[in-house]
Amino acid sequence: MKEHRARLVLGTTAVLSLLAVAGCTPGGSTTTDDSSSAVSDDVAAAGDVTLRLSDFWGSAEGEWIDAMIEQFESEYPNVTIDRTTEDWGQLTSTLNLQLQDPDGPDIASANNGWQSLGTLARGNLVRNLDDYAELYGWDDEVPTTIARQNQFTTDFTTIGSGSWFATPLARGSLIGLYYNVEKLDALGLEPPQTLDDLEAAATAAADAGEIPFAYGSVDGGTAVLLGVQAMLADKDALNDFIYDDPDVSAADTALTEAATTIKAWADAGWFTPSYEGIDYQTAVANFLDGQGVFRFEYTGSLGLAGDQLNQFGYVQLAQDSGSTVGVGAAPGAMVISSSCEHPDVAAAFLDHLMSAEGSQTAVDIGLVPMLNTDVTLPDDALSLQGEATATQTLDADDGYVPYIDWASPTLLDTITQNMQLLYAGKVTPEQLTEAVEADRTAFLEELGQDS
Amino acid sequence: MTATGTRPPARLPGTPSRPARAGRAGAPRRTSARRRRNRWIGLGFAAPGLLLYGYVVLVPLLQSVQYSFFRWDGVTQAVWVGLENYTRFLTDPELRSTFGHVLVLVGFFSLLPIALGLLSAALLTRTRLPGMAAFRWIYFLPQVMTSIVIALVFKRIYAPEGPLNEALRAVGLGSLARSWLGDFTWALPSLGMIGTWAGFGFCMVLFISGASSIPPELYEAARMDGAGPVREFFAVTLPGLRGQLAVALTLTITGALRTFDLVWITTRGGPGTSTLTPAVALYRAAFQNPQVGQAAAIGVVMALLCLLIALTITRLSEKD
Repeated sequence: MKEHRARLVLGTTAVLSLLAVAGCTPGGSTTTDDSSSAVSDDVAAAGDVTLRLSDFWGSAEGEWIDAMIEQFESEYPNVTIDRTTEDWGQLTSTLNLQLQDPDGPDIASANNGWQSLGTLARGNLVRNLDDYAELYGWDDEVPTTIARQNQFTTDFTTIGSGSWFATPLARGSLIGLYYNVEKLDALGLEPPQTLDDLEAAATAAADAGEIPFAYGSVDGGTAVLLGVQAMLADKDALNDFIYDDPDVSAADTALTEAATTIKAWADAGWFTPSYEGIDYQTAVANFLDGQGVFRFEYTGSLGLAGDQLNQFGYVQLAQDSGSTVGVGAAPGAMVISSSCEHPDVAAAFLDHLMSAEGSQTAVDIGLVPMLNTDVTLPDDALSLQGEATATQTLDADDGYVPYIDWASPTLLDTITQNMQLLYAGKVTPEQLTEAVEADRTAFLEELGQDS
Repeated sequence: MTATGTRPPARLPGTPSRPARAGRAGAPRRTSARRRRNRWIGLGFAAPGLLLYGYVVLVPLLQSVQYSFFRWDGVTQAVWVGLENYTRFLTDPELRSTFGHVLVLVGFFSLLPIALGLLSAALLTRTRLPGMAAFRWIYFLPQVMTSIVIALVFKRIYAPEGPLNEALRAVGLGSLARSWLGDFTWALPSLGMIGTWAGFGFCMVLFISGASSIPPELYEAARMDGAGPVREFFAVTLPGLRGQLAVALTLTITGALRTFDLVWITTRGGPGTSTLTPAVALYRAAFQNPQVGQAAAIGVVMALLCLLIALTITRLSEKD
């Protein structure tokens, strides 16, 4: 009897699980009607509207978005924007679930690339914004290299062209070179403008007993490789590689040359001693403490404030050709949920986030402005001036390249691992490039299988 | 996802209930009928709990099994790939290497703390020192600390300018100082030592409490027969601790298999992939890279391994 029942339970469980496995397939696209009814920029006519916004911005960035919301709400008193903020990792890893929830956000900040935005667009969770791009003239106002970062073809085989699925912001995030003003002065050097200048300055710094680069690689530290790569690479090749053009390989993006360069720096003792055991936070703290003349870093990551804004400077080194190419993007891709009931209002808000007012608000808080050149910079914030000059040059040169990890979700891990192997002499720069190429090829194959 | 196996599994139906059944055989039929009715009532009382358990544990478990047969990014239509996720786990050099790392960690998280725990239990039970409670308290302390805190503390200790290297330099062993967590050879053992430190106190307390329930007469008898401390340990203490050993082995081995937080906070699997564990690979696949199917396959394999280990240990420890 007892045995019988046990067997019955086991049997039922087995059958149920078989059904579960064979019967339905996880996922599936939510149907949306793309019968794009006429779009409008008349926000005031929309009546009382409440929009839910989820974003991953804290501290100064959070202040910025709060200010932007306040401006928008005071311009349109009929609109309320209900903001929720979550930690970056938390939001990017759960946004796909949140957007499937009927009570989920109307507007959200997503991460660019296939890993987040591409998956959301392919899953029909975020709205195609082409009609609004036309309405607000985004195609004319946004530099192509930034616009591409938010575009996918509607068959979702290609990133970097096609329809708008997200919008950038009036502020940017770059990878560039920070320098310690006092140390550079003591060495009698001007801020470098090219890679050659930088290497000369590093030599002088090392000769004077200074640490040329504050660095640590135990839990990442890819900014130096990507920063150097942008100085050496052909802009179009690097863009196309990251946007998964199969005709461009990793070897075409000066990755090997960049890896060779940083390996030479490491071998010359230009990095912080024992950098392989130093974590990211410590490396940043070391640099701010005055250990190290230079540091490649993402803008905003140093958290410069007060006096520090003048103790550190920022430069976007030019390529040999004289034009400037830099890794940069908006610090988030703004999406509208497919199930948003007031897309007109949401789109007007996204347009506001790209406005000149948005750039000025960013500068006033100490953040890097982007997309708009006519901003008034404070005259006592050297690093902010450097960063703003950099985005203006990049805007003018149309010189943005996206973050390399957009090319494949696993790419940043692959690069981190291979940089550690490179420093330890376990792989050559060529092998690092091959590993990157293999990673992206595997991802492209997977994409091809899915479509 | 891998939470199964942290507890020793419930007894299998059929095996251990033999004495109970023998007793029931002689009972009159009337009682048996009532007992059966009682059983249904009992089941009725348990039903809400069972349903909840089924919903929050069994359903996600089955879902994980289901996901593991698909290539799925978590959003769009999944593609059936059969056993591909499993074969990749076993053949992909990077994913396969995680098994080797876990084996090393088992040594550090399980065998070493148990050996040390036995040794200290043997030492501490033989003689009554004043302030024994203080010893126990100190050694047990890591057990009540959050693993995040432990990881952060050791990250400091292992830092290039950290206390460990400073100490080595202070005693003239500066040549041994290195970037412990950034060194391809030393990163994994360094992580392992954190586990040893954290797990040792637990094993010791477990064994001391077990040893205190061994009848003192056995020790007296052994001493009477002329057994030294070593002989006494192997003849009396060790056999008396079989139950505690089973518990310690099960908990520490499955703990080693599930190592995530230590690695994530200290090395993120680096340098290279030298400290990558299945749990870290699972996290990356599930939350960083949209490969939910792969993550589920890793989770299922780990859960099965945990279950298998727990079952084997229980079986072995109950055998005479």
